[in-house]
Amino acid sequence: MEHDDLITRRQALSRVAILLGGAISAPTLAGALDAATRRSWIAPPQDWAPRTLDAGQLELVAVMAEHIVPQTDTPGARAAGVHRFVDTLLSDHYPSPERDRFVAGLADVDARARSRHGKTFVECTADQQVALLTELDEAAYPAVRIDSPRASETWFFRRMKELTVVGYYTSQVGATQELHPSPFGAYRGDIPYSSVGRAWS
Amino acid sequence: MITYDAIVVGSGITGGWAAKELTEKGLRTLMIERGREVVHRKDYITEHKPSWELPLRDARLSVGTKGAEEYPIQARTGQFRESNKHFFIKDKKSPYIEDKPFTWIQGDQVGGKSLIWGRQVYRWSDLDFEANLRDGHGVDWPIRYADIAPWYSYVERFIGVSGEKLGLAQLPDGEFQPPMEMNAGEQLVKTGIERAFPDRHVTIGRVAILTQPLNGRLPCHYCGPCERGCSTGSYFSTQASTLPAAQATRRLTVLPNSIVHSVIYDANKNRVTGVRVVDTVTKQTQEYQARVVFLCASTLATTRLLLNSTSPRFPNGLANSSGVLGHYLMDHHFLAGAGGSIEGLLDHYYQGNRPNGIYIPRFRNLGDDASRRDFVRGFGYQGGASRQGWGRGGGERGFGVELKRKLHDPGQWSMGMTGFGECLPREDNYVELSDQKDEFGIPLLKIHCTWGDNELAMRKDMAASAGEMLEAAGCKNVHTYDAYRGSGQLGAEPGFAIHEMGTARMGRDPKTSVLNAFNQAHDVPNLFVTDGACMASSSCVNPSITYMALTARACDHAVEELKRGNL
Repeated sequence: MEHDDLITRRQALSRVAILLGGAISAPTLAGALDAATRRSWIAPPQDWAPRTLDAGQLELVAVMAEHIVPQTDTPGARAAGVHRFVDTLLSDHYPSPERDRFVAGLADVDARARSRHGKTFVECTADQQVALLTELDEAAYPAVRIDSPRASETWFFRRMKELTVVGYYTSQVGATQELHPSPFGAYRGDIPYSSVGRAWS
Repeated sequence: MITYDAIVVGSGITGGWAAKELTEKGLRTLMIERGREVVHRKDYITEHKPSWELPLRDARLSVGTKGAEEYPIQARTGQFRESNKHFFIKDKKSPYIEDKPFTWIQGDQVGGKSLIWGRQVYRWSDLDFEANLRDGHGVDWPIRYADIAPWYSYVERFIGVSGEKLGLAQLPDGEFQPPMEMNAGEQLVKTGIERAFPDRHVTIGRVAILTQPLNGRLPCHYCGPCERGCSTGSYFSTQASTLPAAQATRRLTVLPNSIVHSVIYDANKNRVTGVRVVDTVTKQTQEYQARVVFLCASTLATTRLLLNSTSPRFPNGLANSSGVLGHYLMDHHFLAGAGGSIEGLLDHYYQGNRPNGIYIPRFRNLGDDASRRDFVRGFGYQGGASRQGWGRGGGERGFGVELKRKLHDPGQWSMGMTGFGECLPREDNYVELSDQKDEFGIPLLKIHCTWGDNELAMRKDMAASAGEMLEAAGCKNVHTYDAYRGSGQLGAEPGFAIHEMGTARMGRDPKTSVLNAFNQAHDVPNLFVTDGACMASSSCVNPSITYMALTARACDHAVEELKRGNL
């Protein structure tokens, strides 16, 4: 639930890096692992099934998440399995009332899509989906901060976006392809940003 | 009955030190630990696990969430999360009663909290040891800095401490390995603060983390989350440091899964003769004998054990002829400080997850013109600067390609700091035994502890001075905070700093203290208490290295006294 600490929790790699003795960056290590291991990071285990969401809700989460963090030159939220992460958190971490609130938020997204376009969110065109999400985003992050009751109405989208960001950047894809973990080895307190060129994951 | 030369109760920071010192001085020693075995390296089950291998992605497990069901107290601390929960106690195994909120964070394994401690180590000075005498709160310490200084050095050389020498009277320098580096944001803030306030200093944290090899342990590799355990032994823990030293003597026996129920006292000899232990798995009781007993079970567990060790001579707890056992409980008060953003420095970054921050030594009430009239004693700050990471994406407007591009780069710099304030020793902050018992037949502690006027007044200054310094350093959007909410609500209540101490204090007078200048019970010569329970005041600096130094010093004294036939 509280992933704010994760912001600073730049995860490092496996203990393999230590055994190899020091500053080994994630891509180097990933390259040293066999293809099957790398696939298993990305693909769901064959027996994986959602435990809180039904198939439709899972797809709705996947579609929204991919809009929030889309595929570019690196894979997006769907390839990173963000929807599976969301189901896991809802099942194994969220208190039941909060889980139910999130699921109700999904139903609300579909209700908005139906009232606007007569279709579920997933059935809408990509443009319609983006327009709906833009509305939710603008309501959730007003230019001038307003406290509840708006905050309570926009809880779902803020939580959905937070889960997507956490799920993506802590995934193997997000942490090692889109960003890089800080390598093990020395600590350097002041290096030119240009020598790194992207944020540490 | 099995007989040893020495029994050490507890295997954490002080238990490990007692075991090392006593065995190295030739004593066959039994170290008893209530928790499970944790083997160095092998049992660090989450060490270096990438985030995606943790199902909850290392979520902080707060109270009320799934995953924290068995840890309703432990989950109150921000340290408690998916990757380290196995190093915290399941609360039903050590319940206690809170008269007012008091968060008691406990380990339940060999190594105790040495596996998950904060690793910040600062020497006390005579400003601290003379504080009680000077302002009349508490009783005078029976020792001064000169008594403990060589033991600080002894401990530092063995555990390995990295840090910067400052030459300050209120924060004596130690035997340091090279300091870790500050980052660019911290350098900027340091320059600004030291320019505006010539009597204030910003330094890198002094930490029990190696920057050079030591005794087969390797320097830190900056993976980040020390509290998962460290296979290279780069931070001080029982497993990495004291336990291997004690085991090398072949005189150590470790007894895990065994909780000490009470200490056995022989009134005829006026000596303790051993301990009564309950096997936490089988619930069987067993007694062990020794010539000397060291209690290092952690502040509250040690005092609970003493209170539960009654006899006709000591009906109110062993070595409690003074009646002060259980009283003068302290913790540091923190979570009052300030944060702000730093403009610019966008071409500056850092590499490595440095498990350390900056430290601002105490500058209040040093006996100079800066002294305050609205509170006594003082505080220091811990903090740090960093660039915002991807997490900011969940809190700002925007999504899609634009968001992903933005999060590809780190965000702006920000700086935060929290004060750690000294807590006065007060008689009405105390623990007692309740009439309920745990599954091992040991009465539960009932804890009565609140902050007093001095702490609350100090907190105002902790927040305001932090804000003042960040403003002076040129930070923007400076905000001060104080997490204390009062009225029995959790926020910054006692216990949160996990620096609980006192309740079996040292002192000069047996009528007003439990322990003498060598951590030896005034009433019972072969009984020693060297964990946080011994403290007569709290200073404002992190306490563990002082416990270590007192332990080593007490062990030296105990063995000398044994040789002289005095125990």
